[in-house]
Amino acid sequence: MLEVKALRKVYGSDAEAKPAVADLSFEVAEGEFVCILGSSGCGKTTMLRCLSGLAPATSGEVLLYGTPVTGPPADMSFVFQDYSRSLLPWMSVARNVAFPLRHKGFSAREARAATDEALQAVGLAGQGRSYPWQLSGGMQQRVAIARALAYRPRILLMDEPFASVDAQTRAELEDLLLRIWERFGVTIVFVTHDIDEAVYLADRVLVLSAPATVRHVADVALPRPRGQLETKRLPEFAGLRSELLSSLQRERAAA
Amino acid sequence: MSQALQHQTGDGVPAAPAPVAGRDRRGARWRGRVATWVVKLAGVLVTLSALELASRTGALPRQWFPPVTEMYAELAGLVVGLPLWVEVGRTLGGWAAGLLLATVLAVPAGMLLGASALAFRLVRVVIEFLRPVPSVALIPLAVLVLGTGLETKVFLVAFATFWPLLFQTIYGVQDVDPVATDTARSYGLGALARFGEVTLPSAAPYIATGLRIASAIALVLAVTAELVIGAPGLGQAIIVAQSGGAITLMYALIIATGLLGWALNAVFSAAERRLLHWHPAQRREAGL
Repeated sequence: MLEVKALRKVYGSDAEAKPAVADLSFEVAEGEFVCILGSSGCGKTTMLRCLSGLAPATSGEVLLYGTPVTGPPADMSFVFQDYSRSLLPWMSVARNVAFPLRHKGFSAREARAATDEALQAVGLAGQGRSYPWQLSGGMQQRVAIARALAYRPRILLMDEPFASVDAQTRAELEDLLLRIWERFGVTIVFVTHDIDEAVYLADRVLVLSAPATVRHVADVALPRPRGQLETKRLPEFAGLRSELLSSLQRERAAA
Repeated sequence: MSQALQHQTGDGVPAAPAPVAGRDRRGARWRGRVATWVVKLAGVLVTLSALELASRTGALPRQWFPPVTEMYAELAGLVVGLPLWVEVGRTLGGWAAGLLLATVLAVPAGMLLGASALAFRLVRVVIEFLRPVPSVALIPLAVLVLGTGLETKVFLVAFATFWPLLFQTIYGVQDVDPVATDTARSYGLGALARFGEVTLPSAAPYIATGLRIASAIALVLAVTAELVIGAPGLGQAIIVAQSGGAITLMYALIIATGLLGWALNAVFSAAERRLLHWHPAQRREAGL
């Protein structure tokens, strides 16, 4: 459903400017959960901005269902790492979830129903009237996920969404995301720098090197549904973990 | 967003204080508030008593400094009559018309200049040249062109308040969080929708501060215009009282002007608190 072909992104027009994304190609299948793993500064965020249509590519292309992405597509949602800045503080939780829907053409009633359903799905059914800044970090990111879900996307792009919450909350959010993915059948492209998180969540992990290009692909054949204890105890989990770790270390040594 | 403002524990469960501890804390806060007020009031009373004493004993020449009790008695007499309110209405009329004019011009201009770097660079030199001109320096010109009535008062108020409103609006628009804008863009909001949903609410606290500052400046300019060119209003009434030798009345009118400024500031602060309750500067005890 999502094809990235020879994507290249250079900031500035300087001939010596270094690319942030260079010759990046991969495909994501319908319903797949793909994690993109890379150390900080390898161009992950730039890549996502090109994928989501927020920034134009310098060359190459991104195809969603065969159509080139030139602006934010209507069946794609983006979840930002910085939830406290992505949620609008003057809107209640429910308004934060609902405001993109009205602009997408939902009627007031449809928007309300979609909002209620999405908040329910992330376990925040009673919090619609709260303001985001009254909630903990984990709850705020759940609001952002609810907003992304209510938009009825077929693909969800997530930029290190759980990087700034504590470990316990992070594990809860990972499990919540897996439940949502299974229930809504949405395709997910999830960017992270955390190897355990990538292996735990994904069907497939792509390792990026700087400038962003795919250096290694690992298929994750761990059984589903996954559980924090059961899955991480499996020898296959440990095997994938060390495979990806050594791949990342090779990239770092080469850089 | 400061973590200190979030009354929650890490696992997402609101931290509910034990009821007894909560009541204790609230009680302590009340006692603290009452104590603050007692101190404030004591300061005012000491100052007024000192002035009263200085006047009664002749330490200050009584001819120019009547006892404060007499000033306030005079003011109390004015408050129950109509003429004072007519003057207040005239001053406020100039204040409001000038402020409205400045707002209507400065806020859209600030939005444009804040949103477009090119436009900002284009007019920057002109602005830097005009802004430092003291409004009162324009009084002769204004009298020449507009006469000595309401128009001049409105013009002076509008000129003086245009700048803080313009700059607050520019800063507000420039300070919009790029993540918030990206979020709106990623959900397909066009430029106009983003402006309404993100830019305008983000800039609102800046504009509100600009209005509060502008309101104080507007009162100064309105009264100045009345004093200097004799446009009807509180300022003119003060001059009339002074030239007629009614010194106590003059003081009562000065006090009335001060109270008017204080009341306007209180109204704007209260409106800000209500409308911008979500803003970090206005959030108070979110968990309670």
